[in-house]
Amino acid sequence: MISTENPITTMLNRIIGMSIDTYYNPYKMFEWPDELPEEQWWMSRELMTVHGTAIEQELTEKQLMAISRWESIHFYSLNVHGIRELLLEVIKRVHTPGFEIESEFFHHFIGEENEHMWFFATFCNKYGGKIYKDKKSKWSIESVEPDIESLLVFARILIFEEIVDYFNLRMGRDESLHPIIRQVNNIHHQDESRHIAFGREIVKQLFAGVRAKHPPERLAEIDDYLSRYLAASIQSLYSPAVYQDAGLPEPYKVRAALIEDPARKTYDAKVLKRTIDFLKDIRIISKGAVLQ
Amino acid sequence: VSTDAGPAIDRLKGWLRERKPKLLSDGSALDDPDFDLIENRIVDSLIFLEFVFFLEELSGRQLDTGPEHMASFRTLRAIQRDIFNGSRP
Repeated sequence: MISTENPITTMLNRIIGMSIDTYYNPYKMFEWPDELPEEQWWMSRELMTVHGTAIEQELTEKQLMAISRWESIHFYSLNVHGIRELLLEVIKRVHTPGFEIESEFFHHFIGEENEHMWFFATFCNKYGGKIYKDKKSKWSIESVEPDIESLLVFARILIFEEIVDYFNLRMGRDESLHPIIRQVNNIHHQDESRHIAFGREIVKQLFAGVRAKHPPERLAEIDDYLSRYLAASIQSLYSPAVYQDAGLPEPYKVRAALIEDPARKTYDAKVLKRTIDFLKDIRIISKGAVLQ
Repeated sequence: VSTDAGPAIDRLKGWLRERKPKLLSDGSALDDPDFDLIENRIVDSLIFLEFVFFLEELSGRQLDTGPEHMASFRTLRAIQRDIFNGSRP
């Protein structure tokens, strides 16, 4: 049990208690079928990147099911890569100065995220025969002050987790999906609700420190960076490799057309709404998602 | 930006200018094939995925972005050599 001197400790004690009480063995809890039928919905229809678009109108149900299959494998692949990145960042900070209070929770976070990465990777390899490659840049381009770096790390983790949770919550409840798909999404949603609660608190706290220390120009750069990060995160859901695997010709043109489709702009805004509202509320961003 | 006409490297220059008009305002930076796109913040971590997808569309193949391949994305000379002409994955 962590002491209760800091405002964040009440929340940490609550979510650590929940982590302990709801702890499960992921290696025993799933009953993985040997295979999943290709012709089924692998992803909720409304979550697919073609949903509501002009392109969707031209596709057969069989083609849409193929897209749902590869798009689900791509979604879990993004999770695998996102979790790797966040694990590296949290492990860099556990039991280091500035994170004394949070370190007890970090142990639960690291353990749970490792298990999530395992079940997402298992799903991809078992039912897709691969994990889609991570295409993000592999070099550290921007170097910033340590306090700003920590703020951006936890803000990125929060944005990633909230987008993923939007999908998990819906797929966990969608009875048109196979039980194993529902279960993976549902379990992840339950754990992530604790991580998101923590993420919001630590972002709030880190930003209060950054705001007190840095001039308005630096805060404007953070605003700009996170607004672009929100847009880049949503765009990463649109994968030409998915459209190619589903057999669509000209996958890059398909991607560009989908991103520009008014129906997708409306839906993407819906996915990001609660995150943008929170980030605006604490005044870390002033606009919303800003395209490149 | 149209991807249907002109040499790939010119289409890439057009794509970069369209996205970073302020940083490329003097117009001549991209004439230097060794101009560092990363150091000069023309390509940053948030635009990188779109940049890779555009290069994939131009080159007609999927590209690896592992640490060992990063140098191939740094300058127009490296992009021409490794991605448009070359056989690097």
